[in-house]
Amino acid sequence: MPGRKTFISLCTAGVIGMILCAGAVTASAQDRELKVGYMKNPIQDASLDMMEKWAKGHGVKLTRVPMAYSVFMEKVTATLTSQTDQFDVIWHNDDWGQLWKKWLETTDDVKGMENADQWPLLAFWNDEKKLTVVPMAHTVGTFFYRNDLVKPEEVPKTFDELVSVSQRLQKEGKVKWGYVGGMSMNNTWFSLWWTMWSNNCDILKPLFERDNAKLAAEKFEPAVTEPCQREIVEFWWDAINTHKISPPGMTAYGRNEANAIFMSGDAAFTLVDSTHFGEFNDPKRSKIVGKVGMAPFPMGPRAQRPTSWNEIWGWAIPKGVPAERKQLAKEMLSAMMMDEAGQVEMWKKTGGPPPNVKLWPKLAADDKDFAALKHAVFDQTPITHSAYYFAEWPAVHRAYSDMAIAALSGKREDIAKVLADNVDKIHRAATGN
Amino acid sequence: MSAVTSVELKADARSEGFFSALAPGARAALFALAATAVCLLFTFPVFWLVLTSLRPASGVFYVHRGTEFTIDNFHEVLSQEIVLKALFNSFVISTAATVLSLGVTATSGYMLSRFKGPIPNTWFSLIYIFRCVPYVAWVLPLYFVTQQMHIFDTYWGLLFPHVAVHICFFSWIMKGFFDGIDPSMEYAAMIDGCSRWGAFWRVAMPTAVPGLTALAILCWLYTWNEFLFALILTSHETPILTVVMAQFVHELGMEWNLMSATAVIALVPALIVTLFGQRYVIRGLRI
Amino acid sequence: MTEKTRFMLALIAPAAVAILLFQIVPILTGANASFRDWTLYDPKRTWVGTANYVHVLRDPEFLGIVLPNTFGFMAASVACALVLGLAIALMLNRRFPGRWLVQTLVLLPLMVAPVIAAIMIRWMFNDQFGVVNAALEGLGFAPITWLTQRWTAFLVILLTDVWLWTPWFALILLAGLQSLPPEPFEAAQIDAAGAWRTFRYITLPMLRPVMVVCVVIRAIDAFRTFDIVWTISGGGPARATEVFSIYAYVESFQFLNLGRGSAAAVIGAIIIVVFALLLYRLLNRLVEVSR
Repeated sequence: MPGRKTFISLCTAGVIGMILCAGAVTASAQDRELKVGYMKNPIQDASLDMMEKWAKGHGVKLTRVPMAYSVFMEKVTATLTSQTDQFDVIWHNDDWGQLWKKWLETTDDVKGMENADQWPLLAFWNDEKKLTVVPMAHTVGTFFYRNDLVKPEEVPKTFDELVSVSQRLQKEGKVKWGYVGGMSMNNTWFSLWWTMWSNNCDILKPLFERDNAKLAAEKFEPAVTEPCQREIVEFWWDAINTHKISPPGMTAYGRNEANAIFMSGDAAFTLVDSTHFGEFNDPKRSKIVGKVGMAPFPMGPRAQRPTSWNEIWGWAIPKGVPAERKQLAKEMLSAMMMDEAGQVEMWKKTGGPPPNVKLWPKLAADDKDFAALKHAVFDQTPITHSAYYFAEWPAVHRAYSDMAIAALSGKREDIAKVLADNVDKIHRAATGN
Repeated sequence: MSAVTSVELKADARSEGFFSALAPGARAALFALAATAVCLLFTFPVFWLVLTSLRPASGVFYVHRGTEFTIDNFHEVLSQEIVLKALFNSFVISTAATVLSLGVTATSGYMLSRFKGPIPNTWFSLIYIFRCVPYVAWVLPLYFVTQQMHIFDTYWGLLFPHVAVHICFFSWIMKGFFDGIDPSMEYAAMIDGCSRWGAFWRVAMPTAVPGLTALAILCWLYTWNEFLFALILTSHETPILTVVMAQFVHELGMEWNLMSATAVIALVPALIVTLFGQRYVIRGLRI
Repeated sequence: MTEKTRFMLALIAPAAVAILLFQIVPILTGANASFRDWTLYDPKRTWVGTANYVHVLRDPEFLGIVLPNTFGFMAASVACALVLGLAIALMLNRRFPGRWLVQTLVLLPLMVAPVIAAIMIRWMFNDQFGVVNAALEGLGFAPITWLTQRWTAFLVILLTDVWLWTPWFALILLAGLQSLPPEPFEAAQIDAAGAWRTFRYITLPMLRPVMVVCVVIRAIDAFRTFDIVWTISGGGPARATEVFSIYAYVESFQFLNLGRGSAAAVIGAIIIVVFALLLYRLLNRLVEVSR
């Protein structure tokens, strides 16, 4: 009877086909090839272009393996902990520095690392005090303003000035909103946190501490009931409801919404990664081309000087990679670190500050935009790092965000109570509970 | 056929309510209004999506402001090799997954329909219970399984899981088709010397073809738009369209203009498949 | 083993292999993880028994917000999509000029990837640049900040889900309608029964098997909804719209705690298995009683 036989032969064919495919996949890629797992992004592509130059000159095939951001961290973590050699180089970020430190190759011996800025590397030390990253570009929050509406001397230097200048511009009908920035979960930096650090405040006690041992000694006690914290939550409540310098929907905004509103010309101020400067000046994407300036963060009432944050994106090498490919990868990353022309080109094309700090003075002299960024961000001293570096940090971030959004969604008189009610939640999040 | 007597059906005009009180002309007008409203509601987001894809990058958020239109987004998207590859791969995967799923679940549904007893009951319970587990719990282990079987980032690595997730729903519906087909024809064939397989293949299946076509369309569309498995189980060797769309989202923002253009491009094959298969779908699904 | 048994097993063999390797094994691995201390970055895998389960069940957010949200969303979504889908199916069951066009347009949501639809709708409901508020303002109403409050955010999410799934209901119900035998309807017409009575006493009971399958399947899937809620609100504001799969996702993929995320997922699976079974029995009995 044909029925059953056809069925079985179909199944067999399927299995054979599968085995053949599998064979084809594993047989390939034995010559000098380096696979880089990354997120598709102009800065990363520019950095990879530098690596490509080296690869071409040394007979190495560079394969770019882009991964969607939504699963990048999980997929790479799973790959790292299973010690496979699926990637030879991966995109690395300060958020994951402590998460991945056990699974990455040390990079102290990569030539060119001596030119890197030491401050952002804190997150990447492993337990033997060795580094596990090679920087690619800096990521820094930058305060942007509309330089066609605000003269350099009028740029707000304090929170109060931010409010008054915004209101003036709104009254004059020049903009619909004063400040717009991300506020929803995972965008907390662009409203709540830059004002928090600009008001001499932090999330856990002791304030500004990032050494995990010291934080553990203080039992990860939250600092959210400090007056400085209440002040900034009230500042944002007022910004939305009282002074109305920020759009009422802002508690649900991510980066896309905030940037869209700023780029349409409807807002005068925003704070977002410096790399968006290129986007703000792209005539295809923005309606405010050439009208964007950079300035230091406005200060809160408790600050003596402006602060900033300065972290890096980098590349890392998984421990599971065979020794000769590790060596090749290190040479390639070294070439990237020493490629001065390539890094300058990366800055010009993408707005990503070069990882080689020896280049900065020269670049600032030649390029007025870099000079502006340097003055706004790099010349200011960061009060602390823009994240904590222990495993439960994502949970703490989320707990903080929930607390702040809840406080901002309720009545002004209830803010202090909401903050107090959430101390326990944040503490439990930090201690893995 | 329900045991409804004609006594229940004869009724006062009073208890009839709104519709029969209207004149036929008014009824037709109301009907047309309802039809139009439904069409507008269902079409509007898609229309808005198409509109967005035709705006330059500066106009994709405030879509209703400004009147610039451009096909640059489509140019840019279609010039990327990965998009073309992804279009091809998605098409292959959707078609293959449909064929495989139907093949595998037709027999399963037949078994559930024609037989009673512990084996069908256990089978149904098994496929039902495991269908209820949320994907979150098992996508990463699935990723490991495909890695270990060396089918990660290949067609098979995507096809097998897709087939697995369709088993419960399709078997249930297939059971319904076969329930509606009189088994006496199969008995007759078996008496005439046909084996069980023969009876299944030559007698039952041909009658179920309309229903199978209907499921095929739904399966094809579902796989075409499926995102989670494609995201977890593929990498750069086997680009899939929905994942390529997701790559326009990165940590620093979203290229919505390119994403919407890709989505509109993805709409075209789906539209063709639906237009073509519609009549079969309606005539086919019987439960 | 009888020849009949062998035939039965052969019929389900390919499906069984597929489901075993690619569904059961991963699920059991995930379930295994739920009993262990298993974080993605430090897979210690030490056995901790039911510690993860206890943690999830003791979490006041899980019981007080997440589960009610999920059940509420599921009930609202399925009910709305069913009613709307049935209405559309009834409408499409008649012949009228342009029916083919209406049918195609109604099926449009099925052709769009849910994530894309969710993003599109999120931008449409933005309080500054969204077309919905622009239209509201044009008509003279005050703009609404849709995504900053719990109930309006839920409304947007519900709208998206109903938009995506009504065509599915409509399609299946329409096919069901078209497969009904014409005799009872002819008899009803002869007896001059009106549209409503025909619907209530003939159409609805005969359509019951179709409707019950659809409702149960859709209820299971609505319980597991993730994509659109995550895209539109991320579970916010401040977890107000968090549904069950977001809870599990955050634990597994953001906190990288596979053990706890799996425990949450298994708890959800148990809930939905039991609930769907009860729903199935209830629906069957309900329609019986109404006759």
